[in-house]
Amino acid sequence: MPRRAAAFALLPILLASAPAAADPVYQHLRLIAPAAPGGGWDQTARAMQQALQSAGIVHTSSVENIPGAAGTIGLARFVTAERGTGDVAMMSGLIMLGAIVTHRSALTLHDVTPIARLVGEYEVIVVPAASPFRSLADFIAAFKANPESISWGGGSAGGTEQILAGLIADAVGVNPKRVNYIAFSGGGELRPSVLGGQVSVGLDGLAGFEPYIEAGTVRALAISSAARLPHLDTPTLREQGVDIELENWRCIVAPPGVSAADRQRLEGAVKTMVESPAWRETLERFRWNDRYQGSEAFAAFLDSEEARVLGILKKLGTGGDSAPTGPYPVLVLAGLAIFAAVAAAGLVRGRRREAQDGAAAAPATPSAWPAIAMIAIGILIDVLLVERGGFVLASTALFWATARAFDPNHPARDALFAVGVSIAAYLLFARVLELPLPAGVLAGWM
Amino acid sequence: MGTLQALGRGFAGAVTLPHLAWALAGTTLGTAVGVLPGIGPALTVAVLLPITFSLDPTSAFIMFGGIYYGAMYGGSTTSILINSPGETASIVTAIDGHMMARKGRGAAALTTAAIGSFVAGTLATIALTFFAPPLAAAALRFGPAEYFGLTVLAFTTVAALLGDSVVRGLLSLFLGLSLGLVGIDQLTGDARFSFGIPQLMDGIDVMILVIGLFAVGETLYQAWRRGRDEEHVITLHDFTGMSREDWRRSWKPWLRGTAIGFPLGVLPCGGSVIPTFVSYMTEKRLSDHPEEFGQGAIEGVAGPEAANNAAAAGVLVPLLTLGLPSSATAAVMLTAFQQYGLQPGPLLFATRPDLVWTLIASLYIGNVMLLVLNLPLAGVWARVMLVPRPLLFGGILVLASVGAYSLNRSILDLVLLYAVGALGCAMRIVDVPLVPAVLGLILGPLSEQQFRRAVAISGGDLSVFVTRPICGTLLVLAAAVLAGPHLLRRWLPTGEAT
Repeated sequence: MPRRAAAFALLPILLASAPAAADPVYQHLRLIAPAAPGGGWDQTARAMQQALQSAGIVHTSSVENIPGAAGTIGLARFVTAERGTGDVAMMSGLIMLGAIVTHRSALTLHDVTPIARLVGEYEVIVVPAASPFRSLADFIAAFKANPESISWGGGSAGGTEQILAGLIADAVGVNPKRVNYIAFSGGGELRPSVLGGQVSVGLDGLAGFEPYIEAGTVRALAISSAARLPHLDTPTLREQGVDIELENWRCIVAPPGVSAADRQRLEGAVKTMVESPAWRETLERFRWNDRYQGSEAFAAFLDSEEARVLGILKKLGTGGDSAPTGPYPVLVLAGLAIFAAVAAAGLVRGRRREAQDGAAAAPATPSAWPAIAMIAIGILIDVLLVERGGFVLASTALFWATARAFDPNHPARDALFAVGVSIAAYLLFARVLELPLPAGVLAGWM
Repeated sequence: MGTLQALGRGFAGAVTLPHLAWALAGTTLGTAVGVLPGIGPALTVAVLLPITFSLDPTSAFIMFGGIYYGAMYGGSTTSILINSPGETASIVTAIDGHMMARKGRGAAALTTAAIGSFVAGTLATIALTFFAPPLAAAALRFGPAEYFGLTVLAFTTVAALLGDSVVRGLLSLFLGLSLGLVGIDQLTGDARFSFGIPQLMDGIDVMILVIGLFAVGETLYQAWRRGRDEEHVITLHDFTGMSREDWRRSWKPWLRGTAIGFPLGVLPCGGSVIPTFVSYMTEKRLSDHPEEFGQGAIEGVAGPEAANNAAAAGVLVPLLTLGLPSSATAAVMLTAFQQYGLQPGPLLFATRPDLVWTLIASLYIGNVMLLVLNLPLAGVWARVMLVPRPLLFGGILVLASVGAYSLNRSILDLVLLYAVGALGCAMRIVDVPLVPAVLGLILGPLSEQQFRRAVAISGGDLSVFVTRPICGTLLVLAAAVLAGPHLLRRWLPTGEAT
């Protein structure tokens, strides 16, 4: 366990709970969370990491975050960089389906290998305790009377919450385009706006609002489940006459082009994990619904869910061809052009004056360009080499070229430090901090 | 005095040998990640989550609190010494801190940053202890309109950062605003100015701009100057710390920085960056010698460094009382709460008072530890200035490239980093200040988003910005900050405008 060991060594008194695994399926399994730390995919990945390790299914496991554009950046990277890789898996789910449409991603979930659906979370519709809406009926009546006056706060555009808002509008006979949806970057940013009554209603996963419902600071109008939940006295949408059921499900996928053996191995590992007590406990702790579905059933589910999401997002009008400019970008770019012109004019005038004075004319000094060129070469090598040849090689070249640019008299000393600093940086980041850096051609030795 | 009793019990829980060891581990680790550009406390806490799982929650949270506070201490070190902020919250520190270091006063700058961080961290933790619930309730009165007002007020701080030429300062600001246009429009989900490149859909990371403009830009600029007019090498280094004069000039900025940072930290808007800008502007305005700002004024280090630590404590107010994360680190800590089966939210104080109070107590302890850790280190760190320049700049570029690459593990980020570095070098050559660009990139998208959100909620009614009292007040304040000095000068032609 070389990776972990380094991290452990950093901490003074750690009672390392090395899992007494009989025969792990994987020596090391990489899990990719296509989101920043803290979000749903990151939580799921880290919960999986925990369960896989403690159940002895993997020896070690790491989580890599590739955030951006509601998962589509992670998807693009997963499809291109991990094609055919057998020991890596990525989190995905309903939000990514929506994001693929909204952000017009060229890649879809058809480009990856579905492995299993894992968990689901219901959505709740809440209002602050002081809101005039006592029930869903009150709210729907107000919405139908004047759709634009109702602001729906929820997660990022095209995500589960906007999908739900669109489905509700559609079900009660209001054009989904008239939903005044206010996108927040996530539950954390949304919650204060709901608690403070800034938006009319808030939509979020149940876990996000459950403590507030219990504390009585918000009132849940409805939940998107099929039947009432045992521990929560909130009526479903369906029993209040809105025929919708929606669950924010999350799943796990393998890269495209993996061998049948690799796929079966991953499917087997996930199945074993789902049945482990550690996973049961995780579901309990995060209050996730167990929505395990093997690859075949899951692939069929994926198709039907994709059709539903596509349909409603089309009605909502997101991901359309609307020109993405408002007055603000025009204003900013105009400002940039104006100030750049004025500054350039000032510069030219200054130069001319200097030339006329003659006194401040460029002194006879060596040109700076060789030094700049030297660094530029180092930078070029770094960019070209970092993923192909590995971080250590690329950084050594960068360091050496930069040092030489400043002082060409100590090539040996500079080379020594270049190699030393690069290896030290690699070990610190890749081993201790567990931030994957490309090992490249030296992979066997590091 | 229920609070004092509870706090006392918290101290009793925190002052055990293992807990103190975890606090030490956290503060040390936090200082380290603060120093490294591109690696923040959020990522560190996330990486440590699985490792800490075998611990009891109290130990884990003590360590996380230490990492969080520690990163705010560590961020200033690289800002001051090599003009490359380790965290966004330390950008402003680079302006005067690095000038001080170049004049051989690096140790004094590091010391005032450490003591300022300690003073602010402690005072803000006291405020957190006694006033958290009412403060959190007040923060809920802020909606999109109010946050827009706040960003407008924050924009006025650019006046203090413009440098010698208003035109060039504004050019820098608009450069930042333009870069801020790139990426997905939060409200509609449309990609803007991303030119079909998927990695650009999430916009340009502030850290790329910061590392590029400062670390890479500085390296290129120094290479460009080499041989032109040989930099007069600093021979006189003072590693002793702060003089009596430094103390006299630092203590007020520390207190003002705390007063600015803590409330702004409670409001989930821009994290701990905006308070540093506001503090810098305040110090420059109140100073008897504003011309020293930008040339190595110690107030320009003391104030912002106090402000970012106070803000870090402020962020914990909504987190602990309402379960609301208002920064990336807070969001990860919230996940950690859930990992331990704790429901973050309004009931946390009631259901797990032992945990909350031990955490708060350990923040006090962590602050003392950080001071003890960082004061002696100030003199040691300051000797970085003695490293031969070729090796120093080689190391800076390598660290910058790791920081940028590990943000998203994307070559494009690396290319962007160096492009921004070239831009930064060019900006220096023609004397365009760097900091307004960073301000523009941070505030531009925030401001636009809150503005449009507020308008959407009001159904297109622009009057919300003046009819909502808090927002109206903020906008009036912003106007006063901009116009005030000019009006005063006009009314008091001979007197000094203060």
